[in-house]
Amino acid sequence: MDQLRDANWVLSVGTFLPLAGVLVMLFIPKAEEQLNKAVALLTALATLAVGVYTMTQFDYDQAGKMQFVAETNWISVIKSTYHIGVDGISLPLYFLSMVITVLVMIYSWNHIPSPGNPKAFLMLMLVLQTGMAGTFIAQDLILFFVFFEIVLLPMYFMIGVWGGENRQYASLKFFLFTMFGSALMLVAFLALFFKTGAESFAIPYLVENGGAIAKNTQVWIFAGMFIGFAVKVPMFPFHTWLPDAHTQAPTQGSVILAAILLKLGTYGFMRIAIPTLPGAAVEWAPWIGLLAVIGIIYGALGCLAQSDMKRLIAFSSVAHMGFVMLGISTLTSFGMNAAVFGMVAHGLITGMLFFIAGSVKERYHTLEISRLSGMLQQVPKLGWILGFCAMASLGLPGLAGFWGEFPAILSAYNPADGLSEEAFRVYMVIAALGTVFAAAYLLWLYQRTAFGEPNPEFTGQGDGHGHHHGDGHDEVHDVNTLEWIAWTPLLVAIVLFGVLPNLMFKIIDPAVTTIVSGFGG
Amino acid sequence: MSPFLRSYLTVVWFGLAAFLLGGLLLWLASLLRPVKPNPEKVLAYESGVNPVGEGWSQSQIRYYVFALLFVVFDVEAVFLFPWATQLERYGSFGLIEMGVFVAVLLLGLVYAWRKGVLRWV
Amino acid sequence: MSSPLLAAVSWTVPTVDYHGLAPEIVVALGLCVVMLVDLFLAERSKWLLASLSGFTLLGAFIPVLTLALDDGGARAMFDGRYVIDDFSLILKGLFLLAGYVVVLLSTTYIEEGEYYQGEYWVLMLSSILGMMMMTSSRDLISVFVALEFLSIPAYMLAAWRKRDAKSNEAGVKYFLLGVFASAVMLYGMSLLYGVTNSTLLSDIGASISGELTAVRIIAIVFVIVGFAFKVSAVPFHTWAPDTYEGAPTPVTAFLSVASKAAGFVALVTVLYVAVPEGSDVWQPLVWVLAVLTMTVGNVLALRQTNIVRMLAYSSISQGGFILMPLAVAAEGGAGGAALRSVVTYLIVYAATNLGMFAVILTVSRKTRSGEISSFGGLFGYAPALGVVMTFFLGSLAGIPPLGGWIGKFSAFQAVLEAGTGWAYAIAVIGAVNSVVAFGYYGNVMREIWMRPVPDANTMPIRTPAQLVLALAITTISTLALGVLPGVALHFGDLAIFAGAFAG
Repeated sequence: MDQLRDANWVLSVGTFLPLAGVLVMLFIPKAEEQLNKAVALLTALATLAVGVYTMTQFDYDQAGKMQFVAETNWISVIKSTYHIGVDGISLPLYFLSMVITVLVMIYSWNHIPSPGNPKAFLMLMLVLQTGMAGTFIAQDLILFFVFFEIVLLPMYFMIGVWGGENRQYASLKFFLFTMFGSALMLVAFLALFFKTGAESFAIPYLVENGGAIAKNTQVWIFAGMFIGFAVKVPMFPFHTWLPDAHTQAPTQGSVILAAILLKLGTYGFMRIAIPTLPGAAVEWAPWIGLLAVIGIIYGALGCLAQSDMKRLIAFSSVAHMGFVMLGISTLTSFGMNAAVFGMVAHGLITGMLFFIAGSVKERYHTLEISRLSGMLQQVPKLGWILGFCAMASLGLPGLAGFWGEFPAILSAYNPADGLSEEAFRVYMVIAALGTVFAAAYLLWLYQRTAFGEPNPEFTGQGDGHGHHHGDGHDEVHDVNTLEWIAWTPLLVAIVLFGVLPNLMFKIIDPAVTTIVSGFGG
Repeated sequence: MSPFLRSYLTVVWFGLAAFLLGGLLLWLASLLRPVKPNPEKVLAYESGVNPVGEGWSQSQIRYYVFALLFVVFDVEAVFLFPWATQLERYGSFGLIEMGVFVAVLLLGLVYAWRKGVLRWV
Repeated sequence: MSSPLLAAVSWTVPTVDYHGLAPEIVVALGLCVVMLVDLFLAERSKWLLASLSGFTLLGAFIPVLTLALDDGGARAMFDGRYVIDDFSLILKGLFLLAGYVVVLLSTTYIEEGEYYQGEYWVLMLSSILGMMMMTSSRDLISVFVALEFLSIPAYMLAAWRKRDAKSNEAGVKYFLLGVFASAVMLYGMSLLYGVTNSTLLSDIGASISGELTAVRIIAIVFVIVGFAFKVSAVPFHTWAPDTYEGAPTPVTAFLSVASKAAGFVALVTVLYVAVPEGSDVWQPLVWVLAVLTMTVGNVLALRQTNIVRMLAYSSISQGGFILMPLAVAAEGGAGGAALRSVVTYLIVYAATNLGMFAVILTVSRKTRSGEISSFGGLFGYAPALGVVMTFFLGSLAGIPPLGGWIGKFSAFQAVLEAGTGWAYAIAVIGAVNSVVAFGYYGNVMREIWMRPVPDANTMPIRTPAQLVLALAITTISTLALGVLPGVALHFGDLAIFAGAFAG
């Protein structure tokens, strides 16, 4: 542990390295597109290298404790410190954010969405990376808040500038929803600070002292945090920004949004809301569980009603995050384990699905499910990958999705002490029903898009629209090399964690055990 | 009502009293005065002269500027006289202070001079 | 010889601390010099005046620094009527730097305009001098004189483009409502003097305690209403949008930052030193004013199409946030945090808002328009300006890591430290308002990043050197204050005024 304390520069470097790339890119003219892309990619790779180094140096036997802890003065006047560290919950997400950013950068090499300007696009992505990584390592509420907010503006511009037709509406909606949540969250943070004696914003300190606050007050403070995090997750009544944002965002934006940004909310629940306010967590858990299962069913029904592939995947996110929240709401180490695993699995699988959607859009210029068909004939590799991800997403045993979903359902059978067993068993049944729906919408999607004959519209010999695609560039082609490079790591990870879930559970378990130790789970 | 909110009542009372007093006086006046308007009577007047021409007629701006300058030096005199009677007590401090005061006013005179205010063309 | 009245007053030579007064003396001398030089300067060398004014302000900054580094504690003059302490020094520094940036903003605007130049600089310097006096005034008379000293030149500056009807309207509206506010305030002050038999704020503070009689309540209410006009708090804000829109743009920048800040300085001084014991009266009043100000300002800003008008309403709404902690300043020892929040907020708000006006001035040199739509596609053809403007908008919206967030944060912190039901209520209202505010800040961002360029006119924008310097100063301060908020908070972390909220 001590030698790890000495390596406390690791996290700061990993978090702020992307900003160094941004600084370099500032001085590269906009016209030098290749150079800009190269610098951005190199920065992301270097960041990933730091991430890998972090992984190798992490002491897996003590995954329940904070490691690489760094603590320096930051805003001494308000008793906020620059306090960072990772444990078994943060590490997978922290590393995942770096991996996803690299893959997205690779994908961007020849997929810069309209209206171009890779310099600005990639700079925003690097800023985004700093915000995401920082949120996962922050051990101080104010620092957490700052990082949590840093991701907002880059994402706003990514959707608003490089998005689809309705991008301006979607980006503003995304921004206002999240900002509303985080404003109330900040008020809750401050209330927590003062109610624990106005001593410190450090999360470990607040975890130690938060339990002593009167129950009634805890419930109110939790309400503020709940809104902040639930909007980000997003949980059922606050989810309406998600389908719009996902549908309108460029592929890269959707991937980052699904893979990482949504996790900031669930991570906030596990890291801050529940451990600091255990009394309120017990009061809130049944309601969170209820909203989670409503989200599961609502998301699934929403999926069944979609005619747009990307929107369908977006709604499936609502359902999957419902499973994660259900796991968290049990307040047991079993459920939390499932939740963290579910977060990573959802990041891998849904990220991958958005990549596929992007590639489909690029080839067919549409995501209308009714216009797509016969992908297995026309673009067999893409079709098979879509099938693979659909299977993973519906929770097929042997793939990563299963280990997020199944244990989450199982954990609801036996929630923590003080929670109503009856309620959670009902939730369990409903959530199980949700998996059936998930199978239904994913298989139906696959059937409609991949099976059958290719739509003559896109085979170049059809109905007079062919001249649109006659110039050769738009010819429907199968998965290309760059896509293979960007996708293979995700596909491998989906299989790897599906077969050997213990690789991750081993890291997560000690950390979540620490969190739920107060609930007798 | 809490004593604290009641304390605000005074503000309300004060406002009410102000409005009532104004209204009362106007009302009393309307009781006393005879009302017999004719075209001559409703005509606006200034120093007994009938208004001729437009309201926005031009007047000699120099009167205004001179009046201003006069006021400035009038006020200076108002300060200078009592100061002079007590100069012995104030001593050199008082002398310097008044010097500064007069210098600032002098600056205004220089300004007026350079801007051509002192010329009566 | 001497009358009985004079004989009754014993007179001793007052000790004048010339080091303490040095900043004011430098500015006063500078403004006399600028005025004289202007009178004897040929038209083509009038650019000298801008440099002279700039150097005057920077020159006055030196004694502010030496005073700040001096460990002698607060310096009081004239029986405590004029005090130079950390509070006044920090705000003097703020006014001088803000004034310097305004000089940079004005230079090209004034040179290219068709009106008198010398008067502009003299009026600007006088107004800044009034603000500096305001920070040190601890007496009703000096507070009032300083307030008039900073306001009257500002009225004239607002009407500076005298052949432009809008500028006239701006000046007249500002003047009429300004003097009305002064009259109300003066009435309140005279009542305060009447009940306490002193004009010294600390004497008044000592006298006003215990039972609040009707006349004391009226006095406090009137004084606050007077200040509410100055800081354009709703419902006393009606002059602000018209004045901001009609006044020359650099003057608007000056009014919305420096003049407003001076109003808050005066308000804080009076509330903390003169009537801390009257908090039962002014807390609810300020609470209502703050809520109305932030809400109404926000809602009206959403509907504006002119950028300066939008900024006027935005500045009203930001004023509500500055007022917010004062609404609970006497509760639960939150007085110190509230003071810190006001000063911090003023610092970051000055940096951000001046930067915003620098961008507006630069862009309008090309577009000749004040419409928000004239910013369309700015990022495409002037990426640097677009990004910098985005920073300022984000900062005003309170998004970390841009300066504005620390202002909002410290305001919320002060409010929650008070911890009463009223405090939580205003915190939640403030939180909701800070989200609504993004509606209009985000709208401008949308124009800059996502909308087409009007008339497809992508001719690059030429930015004069002074504006580049102004942009650099404001951008760097906005970013630095956001990333290292300790700096601003450190400046704001002042010892609470003696005697305030003692019991």
